[in-house]
Amino acid sequence: MKAWLGLGATLLVAIGVAACAGHDWATPADLLHAIGGDRDLRSRLLFEWRLPRVLAAALVGGLLGLGGAIYQGVFRNPLAEPYLLGSAGGAALGATVALLVPLAVPQSILLPVLAFAGAWGATLLVLGIARIAGAVDAAGLLLAGVAVAAILGALRSFLMLALSDETVSLQVVLSWVLGGVQTPTWSVLGWLALMTLVCLGMAALLASRLDLLGLGETMAASFGLDVRRFVALAVLAGSIVVALAVAFGGLVAFVGLAAPHIARWLVGPLHRPLLPASALVGAIVVTLADAIARAVLPPAEIPLGLVTAVAGGPFFIFLLARRLRA
Amino acid sequence: MTAIAADALKVTRGDATLIDNLSLAFGETGSVALIGPNGAGKSTLLKVLAGLEAPRAGSVRVGTGDLALVPKALRACMIGFLPQHFEPHWDLAVGDLVQLGAARNPELAPDAVANILARFELTKLERRRWSTLSGGESARVLLAMVLVADPSILLADEPAAALDIRHRLDVIAALAERGRERLSVVVVHDLDLAFRYFERVVVLVGGKIAADAPAADLIADRRLDEAFGVRFERIRTAGGWSLQASKETT
Repeated sequence: MKAWLGLGATLLVAIGVAACAGHDWATPADLLHAIGGDRDLRSRLLFEWRLPRVLAAALVGGLLGLGGAIYQGVFRNPLAEPYLLGSAGGAALGATVALLVPLAVPQSILLPVLAFAGAWGATLLVLGIARIAGAVDAAGLLLAGVAVAAILGALRSFLMLALSDETVSLQVVLSWVLGGVQTPTWSVLGWLALMTLVCLGMAALLASRLDLLGLGETMAASFGLDVRRFVALAVLAGSIVVALAVAFGGLVAFVGLAAPHIARWLVGPLHRPLLPASALVGAIVVTLADAIARAVLPPAEIPLGLVTAVAGGPFFIFLLARRLRA
Repeated sequence: MTAIAADALKVTRGDATLIDNLSLAFGETGSVALIGPNGAGKSTLLKVLAGLEAPRAGSVRVGTGDLALVPKALRACMIGFLPQHFEPHWDLAVGDLVQLGAARNPELAPDAVANILARFELTKLERRRWSTLSGGESARVLLAMVLVADPSILLADEPAAALDIRHRLDVIAALAERGRERLSVVVVHDLDLAFRYFERVVVLVGGKIAADAPAADLIADRRLDEAFGVRFERIRTAGGWSLQASKETT
């Protein structure tokens, strides 16, 4: 209970701090004015631009934390992460196609659909390669993931070079690749919040079966789990979560890796508490990282993905070293 | 009444035939030791009986029905399977692990977890994490996880092989004792323990049954020597028989 109150309070504080931060710092009083419906220009800027952006960052972070926890549960591996396993790269490739290739379908539909297809396809590909190579363990998955991510990255770069012209700006695509939360309108934000809740609900349905899978495939099967079917289902669910995060936040590294770890220290390894706790941790981390991205070099903005990579890279190295030594 | 039976089972992997046209039936109660040399197909047979591996031909019957048609959740409730090695991927607490085992039987009494923890002297360890347990403690946790749902059929694959002798005795005795009220089929490595604790002994060689008899009858049987390719000297001891093997000289 203490851990939950702590997480909730930390998230609220993080959102408050992030809403104040920016190239033009606001005071908490300014924020209250803006939320209270003040019509002055500065208040409206805060309300129309900064607040939705901060909340979108929190939701994207929540999705990344949730997606990471699902992936680690499915792959039974604390080093599994959407970004490392190529599924985020697949989502980004799908998004790039949606942004650059003129198709008859409206982009608002095409983008999430292709991002999902990319995330799902890439994950299945990585799993398949690791299985053919005969090593569905940490090393096999990570190596397959690195290879698939590199191929997908090359494809994406090629598409960017070949297809961008004056009509579609490379800048838009680039901001995706480097990771960056777009500022949504309040109605889009509401839709994202709703989808995040749906994802949390979906994850809750997977929780007890993820626990069974964590006992190992033989034990899980003897306890009544249809292992193959469930893994396919959970990969699908994880891909939906990742695609949603990538659609709104681009490629953000290491949050999906770090958030489940921190959550495991706080609430333990059972998935029913772990999944929402990991989402909360992810939300806190990305909210703060996004605030840093906006506030450090005003008026320019550092891509969010660079901030999380600089902070999360050492964390990954630390985990890897500890695991290899064990 | 037959609880579980194998009907003309055949299991192959690649070119190798692991189980070769094997038929075997077990009653509703009884303790059965499954013995045989390495590669005889003991583990494979147990997995097929547990429904964890599909046979190439033949079938497993439970009660009067085909095991392949039994829903997985019901099968998990009915058959308890103790694997040779168990290592959870996450460092769960003892209580949580046993709870996961209990969850497969929805009709369990609310105090079932507490009772099984008490029975295996795990009550004090309830909050301890798996990684902090000793070998004997983790063996008891595994037993508690599988037995908490009170399966009518227990299939165990040498769960005690890696333990020291005292803990091995505890585990084997617990498994054999279960045969008084339920069916307990155990792959046993230590022949002395197999003949001392179990009522019936099945000898498997090359995926076929080489002998199947009450332990007391089989102990003197020459087929035992043939199955393992050694000459046994049978020594009468206070607790039963002790088998001492020497290389065949004939």
